[in-house]
Amino acid sequence: METKNVQMKPEEILNQNKRKEAKKNFIKAIFLDIFLVFYSLVVLHRIIYLRFFLNLKDIPFSWNHIAVLFIISIIIGFFWAFTKTSLSSKLFGIAKDTRTAKWTTEIFGWFLFDITFIAGWVVTKISIVDLFSSEGIQGANRIFGAIFSPEFGIFDDALTAIIETIYLALMATLISIPFTFILSFFTARNLMRDNKISFAIYYLLRIVLNFIRSIEPLIWAIIFSVWVGIGPFAGMIALLVHSIASNAKLYSEAIEGVDEGPIEAIVATGANKIQVVWYAVVPQIILPFLSFTIYRWDINVRMATIIGLVGGGGIGTMLIQYQGLARWHEVGLIVIMIAVVVWIMDYISAKIREAIY
Amino acid sequence: MLLKISDLHKIYKSGTHALKGVSFEVNEGEFLVVIGLSGSGKSTLLRCINRLIEPTSGTIEFMSKDITHVKNEELRKVHSQIAMVFQQFNLIKRRSVLINVLTGKLGSMSTLNSVLERFPQEVYEEAHNCLKIVGIEEKSDERADALSGGQQQRIAIARSLMQNPKLLLADEPVASLDPATSNSVMHYFEKVNKELGTTVICNLHFLSLVRRYATRVIALRDGTIVFEGQPSEITEEWFHTIYGEDAEEVEIK
Repeated sequence: METKNVQMKPEEILNQNKRKEAKKNFIKAIFLDIFLVFYSLVVLHRIIYLRFFLNLKDIPFSWNHIAVLFIISIIIGFFWAFTKTSLSSKLFGIAKDTRTAKWTTEIFGWFLFDITFIAGWVVTKISIVDLFSSEGIQGANRIFGAIFSPEFGIFDDALTAIIETIYLALMATLISIPFTFILSFFTARNLMRDNKISFAIYYLLRIVLNFIRSIEPLIWAIIFSVWVGIGPFAGMIALLVHSIASNAKLYSEAIEGVDEGPIEAIVATGANKIQVVWYAVVPQIILPFLSFTIYRWDINVRMATIIGLVGGGGIGTMLIQYQGLARWHEVGLIVIMIAVVVWIMDYISAKIREAIY
Repeated sequence: MLLKISDLHKIYKSGTHALKGVSFEVNEGEFLVVIGLSGSGKSTLLRCINRLIEPTSGTIEFMSKDITHVKNEELRKVHSQIAMVFQQFNLIKRRSVLINVLTGKLGSMSTLNSVLERFPQEVYEEAHNCLKIVGIEEKSDERADALSGGQQQRIAIARSLMQNPKLLLADEPVASLDPATSNSVMHYFEKVNKELGTTVICNLHFLSLVRRYATRVIALRDGTIVFEGQPSEITEEWFHTIYGEDAEEVEIK
C-alpha cells in the first residue's frame, strides 16, 4: 500500500481520496433515503390514513404493515438515491446540480416538516378546546385560586419538610466532594494519557460516569427508594450519585484546562506524579472546584424538591401527598415555600461564587 | 566533562523533525548560550537534556552516565540533578514565594511529607538562603503572582538552586521581561555560575546579552548546529547565517 502511494502523485492521491469519500457518502445517502421514505410512509399510513381518513380512535399496531412499508421504502429509497436528486444526496453533498434535484429536495424537505408537525400534534393530543373550555377555565380558576390563598395551617410541617430538603441537598453535595475530587484526576485526559493502562482506566471511568449522569436523579431516587426504603436517605443517595457523576466531569474539565507550565516546572524538579498533581494542578483548580460545588448544592436543592415526589423525602413527598388528596390550598403553600427557598438558594450561591472569583 | 550530546535527533509525533543530529560537549563551570530563531530547536534541545522529552535517537551522557532513555526513579533523579528555569516562570501562582522555592526540594521528599507540606527545618533555612542569593528574601510570605516579572523569574532561579543542581538550564529566561529587568535577571544567572560554580546552559534571543554573559555560544538553525565558538566570534556574516533569511535571499540574487 505504502509503496503504491509513494509512486502516486499528490493530485492522484487527493483524487483517490475524493472518490472514496464520494462512495462513502453515497452509501450513507442510500441509508438515509430509505429511512426518510420509511418514516414518511409510516406517518402517512398511521396518522393521515388511519387517523383522518378512516377516523380510528385507537390506531392498531401491526408488524405486517410495518414490514410492507419497510420493503417499499427500501426500493424507493435505493432508486431515489441512485438518481442523485434525493434530499439525502443533497445533505451529503453528492446531488446533481439540476433543477429537478433542487425541486425534489425542497418539496420533500417541506413535506417531511409538515407531516412531522401533524404527527406531533396528534401524538401529543394537543387540544385548544380543552385549554379554553368553560370546564377547563373553571379548573384553572380553582387551582390558581387555591394556590394564591395558601393554607397556613400546615406551615410548621412544611417548614420542617423543607429544612429536611435543604439538608438532604447539602449532605448529598458534601459527601460527593471527596469522591468527586479523587475521581476527577482519574478522568482528566492530560493526567492519564501517559501510558496505556492509565488511559484505559480513564476511558472506562468516563464511560461509567457518562452512563450514571445520563440517568436522571428522579430515576435514581426510584431505584434507591426500593433499595433503602422511601425517605430522605433514598433521596440523598440519588442526589449523591448524580452529583458525583456530574461534578466529576466539570472538575476533570477544569483539570484539563490548567496551565501546563507549572506542571512542567514541578516535573523538572524531580517530583513524582502525586507531588506534581498536589503542587502544580491542585492550586490551579481549587477555586473552580469550590465554585462548581456550591452551584451543585443550589441545583441539588431544586432537584431535592422534585425527588420527594417519588419517595425521596422532604418537601416533595409532602407535596405529592396533598396533591393526591386534591387539597389545593395546602399545595399552594408548599409551592410558594419551594419557590422562595429556591430563589434564596440561587441568590446566595450566585453571591458566594462571585465572591470567590 | 559534564555533558556530552552525540548525534541527537528528535522527531515529534506531528512529524516535525526538531533536532537533526546535534552533537556537542559541555565542561563544568561553563556558561553556554544557545542562540537561533524561534523553531530552530533550542527549546527541544534543552528539554531533551533534562529529559522532559525523550529523544528519538542519539545519546545524552550526563556525568559519564547515559541518560538518553532512563525511566521512572532514574528519570526523577536526572530531573532533580538538572534544574530548569522557564520563559513563563511557571510558578505556582496562588502560593507563597517560600512554598514555590521549597518545591525545588520535592525530589528528595517523601510523598506523604510533601503533600502535608512538612518540610524539614534545614530545608526552610536553605530556602531562605536561596532567596537571599537572588535578593528577594523579604518577599518570602507574599503570593508569587503578586510580584513583578523580574522578581518571579528570580524566585524561579531560587527554586532551581534548591535542587543543588549540577547543571542549570534556562529556556529563554528573559524573553518575557523588559530590557532593564532582563539584564538584572541575567546578572543572577552569572552570579550562580561564577559564585556557586553551577554550569549553565541558556537559550537567548538578544545578542547583546549573549556577548556579555556567555563563555561559549552554540547556534542552531533548523535543528542543526551552524556555529560553535566564542561570543566575540559572531561576526556580521555569522549573524546572517544564523538569523537572516533575508540575507540568504539577497545572496541568491
